[in-house]
Amino acid sequence: MRYFLRRILHAVFLLFGVSLLTFLFSALTPGNYFDEMRLNPQISQATVAALRAQYQLDRPLPVRYLHWLNAVAHGELGFSFAYNSPVGPLLWVRARNTLLLTITATLLAWLLALPLGVWSASRLGRAPDRVLSWTTATLLVIPDLVLALGLLILAVRTGWFPTGGLATVDFENMSPLHKLRDLASHLTLPVTALVLATLPMLVRHVRASVAEVLDAPFLRAAVGHGISQPKLLYGYALRAAANPLISLFGFSVGTLLSGSLLVEVVMSWPGLGPLLLEAILARDLYVVIGGVLLSMIFLVSGNLLADVLLYWADPRIRIAASAK
Amino acid sequence: MTRPRKLTRWLVALVVLHCVVAGAGFFAPYDPVEQDRDHPYLPPMQVHLMDTQHHFHSRPFFYPLRLREGSFDQYQEDTAAAVPLRFFVHGADYPLLGFVPSRLHLFGADGARVYLLGSDAYGRDQLSRILFGGQVSLLAGLFGAGVTLFLGALIGMAAGYYGGWRDDLLMRTTELFLALPWLYLLFALRAFLPLTVSPLEAFLLVVVVIGMVGWARPARLVRGVVLSVKERDFVRAARGFGASDSYLMRRHILPETASVLLTQAAILVPQFVLAEMTLSFLGLGVPEPTSSWGNLLASLQPYSVLVSCWWMYLPAVAIVPFFLGYLGLASALQQRSGAYKIDEQSSWSPT
Amino acid sequence: MQPLLRVENLVKHYAAGRSAPSKDKFAALDGVSLSIPARTTLALIGESGSGKSTLALCIACLEHPTSGSIWFEGIDVAALDENQQRLLRPQIQLVFQDPASSLNPRWTALEIVSEPFFVQGRFSKQERSDKAGTWLDRVGISRKMVSRRADELSGGQKQRLAIARALALEPKLIILDEALSALDCSVQAQISNLLLELQSSLGLTYLFITHDSAMAAQLADQIAVMDHGRTVESGPAEKILSSPGHGATRSLLAATPRVPETHSVLVDS
Repeated sequence: MRYFLRRILHAVFLLFGVSLLTFLFSALTPGNYFDEMRLNPQISQATVAALRAQYQLDRPLPVRYLHWLNAVAHGELGFSFAYNSPVGPLLWVRARNTLLLTITATLLAWLLALPLGVWSASRLGRAPDRVLSWTTATLLVIPDLVLALGLLILAVRTGWFPTGGLATVDFENMSPLHKLRDLASHLTLPVTALVLATLPMLVRHVRASVAEVLDAPFLRAAVGHGISQPKLLYGYALRAAANPLISLFGFSVGTLLSGSLLVEVVMSWPGLGPLLLEAILARDLYVVIGGVLLSMIFLVSGNLLADVLLYWADPRIRIAASAK
Repeated sequence: MTRPRKLTRWLVALVVLHCVVAGAGFFAPYDPVEQDRDHPYLPPMQVHLMDTQHHFHSRPFFYPLRLREGSFDQYQEDTAAAVPLRFFVHGADYPLLGFVPSRLHLFGADGARVYLLGSDAYGRDQLSRILFGGQVSLLAGLFGAGVTLFLGALIGMAAGYYGGWRDDLLMRTTELFLALPWLYLLFALRAFLPLTVSPLEAFLLVVVVIGMVGWARPARLVRGVVLSVKERDFVRAARGFGASDSYLMRRHILPETASVLLTQAAILVPQFVLAEMTLSFLGLGVPEPTSSWGNLLASLQPYSVLVSCWWMYLPAVAIVPFFLGYLGLASALQQRSGAYKIDEQSSWSPT
Repeated sequence: MQPLLRVENLVKHYAAGRSAPSKDKFAALDGVSLSIPARTTLALIGESGSGKSTLALCIACLEHPTSGSIWFEGIDVAALDENQQRLLRPQIQLVFQDPASSLNPRWTALEIVSEPFFVQGRFSKQERSDKAGTWLDRVGISRKMVSRRADELSGGQKQRLAIARALALEPKLIILDEALSALDCSVQAQISNLLLELQSSLGLTYLFITHDSAMAAQLADQIAVMDHGRTVESGPAEKILSSPGHGATRSLLAATPRVPETHSVLVDS
């Protein structure tokens, strides 16, 4: 129990630090942001004045931070000028789209990486393993941007997949089955890009962890007892190799919101990424802060999740924790 | 030993690649900003040795491209007007290595422009733009890595050597920075700075922003080295003859961190080049007309370009050999130092 | 005649590290007292973990004791501030057990012995080189070896190098912390002869820390015995060796392996 408290405290500390950083960035920018807003003809003077009062710009920095923190805690993340709406709901809609994409991609990547990595580790050094290693090495050398753009060009020239957006125009009028198919076809391209970007590293990690474990005496003993190969690999080896993989999984969860930014922009997927970009280009500050905060929360939660999973999965950590 | 040979191979390959980019002025036939509005979006031209009458020519030549009859975007070779390629020609001015004025180019042609890699919307030669763009992107990566490593080494050294509350504070800060998604942080930092800046300012901005994002991991690694070296007896002995802290850090501890810093450099440079490319691609980095690999790729955004002008994708391909070289170098360095596995870096992000 | 070094009731606690489960402090030294007259050798024997190295570091002013006093030439070392201690340190030099760790393996022999002069900052490059060369000769390292890197030298040569470095600033007291323990027997003999010769010609005082009582017997004028961070017995060497008083002393002396007489049977056949 104390272990959990410590980890949660750690996470809270991180969140505070992050929020402070974010706030400082916004507060210490050269030039008063509100002066810029005043020059913007789309925003009325009354709004500017109201916002100034609300954000209490004339008060000292610590007071402003606390005030801002309080607002955030109540879910008020500010006001978006480009979209003329509060930031919260705006972020939420986009975040949902992002999560749809990233959860699909992450699940797919892990579902592929585990068997590939285990299979590769069980045939270490032999032809299938070498082929896989070469493939992952090649994919690793190609950066995400290059991959995403390349896939886009491919899609555009072949016309097999839609190259943007979440759904076709008459989505609402489709039957549920058609809706699903439509969604799937829109998802294909960005998911492929994400999976290709993350799969190589995952496979390498799985392979490395399992390969380390396969040498262990207790596994040889199990083989001596006549255990079947799949059961050996998945029931025993993978479980023993789980620790670094669980941390990695936590990291995967943590980057659910932030890892797909580039792919979303390139593939025109209406998620958090393009929103953030637009906000930066439009100088829509509160959207930026809100987006950064949200993704930060995810990251910290991901790490916390990894800690929790590790605790649950590995008895050694439980014992060490309770001994303290 | 075979290991140093592997290392030298990668090093040589990288040096060659960098020399080509450094000598962009020489290798590129044209000035990257020189426009030719009569020839937008030309596909790459082929260089021939055999003409349409199957005569062999010892001097390579090319056919200029003309619009096909009745088409807006289909080109065909004008086989009537062969233009020979000439080598070591005099062309546009450029500063060799940044300060020596020169006019010598590897190749060029009289009468028509040779577009080996095609042209963009303004008729600018893509080959030249890619070469010069490489200078910007690579320099951003190198300088960014330099800033990061400098910061990381400083902080890691201070934390490891002095220990105590300073160490605690600095390590908590690195945990914080390691927990941040670097791309988002990059964006956030960039967001709060003025949007339109001159190319030089943009470049400096990109370098500083990138540098400030990635210092956490090198700092932790340097701290680890410092902690172990600090306890070595030769450090104690040096204190025994009255050595000051700064002497110990400079003469004994810092050299031990060299191997870690080098390996980190090999890992960080490509990541930072990619960061610059990403920022410029999204319009937040180096602006036109200066070319960088990132903003060259930005021209792919219009749908029409995406469909018909595949050669605009080539800047993306240009970066791959560099990534390969750096990755190979990093792997060889890590094997040599026998230190941590490369798998600890879970992706191309600095965090 | 006051002793060169006098230690009284030295206590050193280490706070347990963050990773240790208990918060208790760990007492490395729990009341050590000894005194060494000038130009003599005191052998400090004790088992590993009895705190000998900690004592060496405290005397050399590289660690701060928790309580107790150290008097060097009548000066209370603990009362000095950091700058004054820095000035004092060259007078008390250490030779460590493991030359692989006490010498920077990438530096050459000349660089290592020149380092003290470099740190002191008052010598020109030529002076440093000359002085270093002199000391290297003195300890028996040939001119050919001088530009070799430290990791290319043998164990015995490395310790000679460490001794040369310790001598460079002409200290009055040299603390040898298990300096011979890692060497082969024959090399040990050579180095201990060197040490004795240096002592008589330069008028050095040695604090010789070891767990090997046979070696102590060879070199020491006086012996002090440490057990669990405390000095339990001390006195003239012959007296301690012939009639040890404390239980710890007895077990230490008994622990020296003796070769059985029967080995000569194997030689004839």
